[in-house]
Amino acid sequence: MEYVNPEGLRLDGRRFNEMRQIVAEVGVVSKADGSAVFEMGNTKVIAAVYGPREIQNKSQQKNGHALVLCEYSMAHFSTGDRRRQKNDRRSTELSLVIRQTMEACILTELLPHSQIDIFLQVLQADGGTRSACINAATLALADAGIPMRDLAVSCSAGYLNSTPLLDLNYVEDSAGGADVTVGILPKLDKVTLLQMDAKLPMETFETVFALASEGCKAIAERVREVLQENTKQLEYRRAA
Amino acid sequence: HLERKIEDEFQSFRVAHKPHRSDCRDVVLDLSNMTNQTIKLGSGLRQDSDAISAMRAGKFSYSKPNKYWVESSHKRYIPRTEDHVLGIVVDYKADNFWVDIKDSAFARSCIRRSDTKKHSQVGTLLYLRVVKTNIGMNPELSGTDASGKASVFGPLKDGFMFETSTGLSRMLLSSPTCPVLEALGKKLSFEIATGLNGRVWVNAAAPRSVIIVANAIMNSETLSATQQRIMVEKLLAKISD
Repeated sequence: MEYVNPEGLRLDGRRFNEMRQIVAEVGVVSKADGSAVFEMGNTKVIAAVYGPREIQNKSQQKNGHALVLCEYSMAHFSTGDRRRQKNDRRSTELSLVIRQTMEACILTELLPHSQIDIFLQVLQADGGTRSACINAATLALADAGIPMRDLAVSCSAGYLNSTPLLDLNYVEDSAGGADVTVGILPKLDKVTLLQMDAKLPMETFETVFALASEGCKAIAERVREVLQENTKQLEYRRAA
Repeated sequence: HLERKIEDEFQSFRVAHKPHRSDCRDVVLDLSNMTNQTIKLGSGLRQDSDAISAMRAGKFSYSKPNKYWVESSHKRYIPRTEDHVLGIVVDYKADNFWVDIKDSAFARSCIRRSDTKKHSQVGTLLYLRVVKTNIGMNPELSGTDASGKASVFGPLKDGFMFETSTGLSRMLLSSPTCPVLEALGKKLSFEIATGLNGRVWVNAAAPRSVIIVANAIMNSETLSATQQRIMVEKLLAKISD
């Protein structure tokens, strides 16, 4: 099957280094301390953050650090066939992966004896859900005012028809080629997440990784813009 | 008193040498021409070896001579000493009350040194002062001012309490009086107690006034000064017929 036609256009008309359209909004769940919706093309994710609040389960308490809990779940209507069961292995794995990514980015030592809950719900899944979740979680954490080192952003890239492709959608993802998901802290220039399915030769991997990192930087710009817009609305509220 | 509050949690940072200007960061304020001066960092800023970075999204603020902080508004409250807050009694034991002040780390668990037992009902709304905050412990509150007199603190009877963000509470307490309260005060008479923890209590003779005031305040979250005045006029016009 041809994923990149001879003119260099993919199945949805994008070029190899074009991302899908990003739509992001902050403050969508009024009951949560922080929340965000993040869309990458057709993939749509809601993140809600509750915290910092008192630890519910004292046995999980970490000495001098906040406890970060993350739950990833897909709505039953998120994919074409309604088949998701609660706590299936993929959800557990993604919850763990996203928790570790966000934990590296939150300044947990400033909030001892507290717990931060991140809830991620995928409303529409079209490839790149884990990246969309990390981006949504970053926005939600910033909305909640939780101190962070940097804005963790994530993007995926793959390799099909001998071309590295940025931001795979579901069809391209299930084509059997490699799928590299990268999560970075853009201003600190550090990698917090790196996952890959399938195999790639080293040189190709480096190209694909570089492409995904570029995508991450572009997402970081967008995330920053959304947060700045939100902050501007606070402008005339000043302490005396 | 807000000035004093900020003073307490400012940490001093000495600009020792020319800070390394790495291109991968947004430099909002270049300190390289301020060598050998001490500056104070408030909430939202942290020191990372020789660079200062922001921890939160917010407005970067400066106050003479050398104080910098990031102002942001959220739903969770971080207790600071000498803040005035509105708390709800959740429990009482012996001579300590447990009060909920929407704290980040210790929900529902702030001790109040009880001076009088007569406010012992669970669910009472109290106007209190934060006395002590330590990073690993429940904050301590008090129902009296520094000299030991009850003055404005204590239980709030009747009226209506609603929750807001911390930024909105700060705006309501700012001086000169914020536009919403000024516009409302011209036409209505009401009593208001604002807690810096994001709770506001309003009382007036007629329930209608209480509702108008509460709605006006809740609407003014994202409005500018002029918009606030227009909004209040519209609301007041509805009750004057």
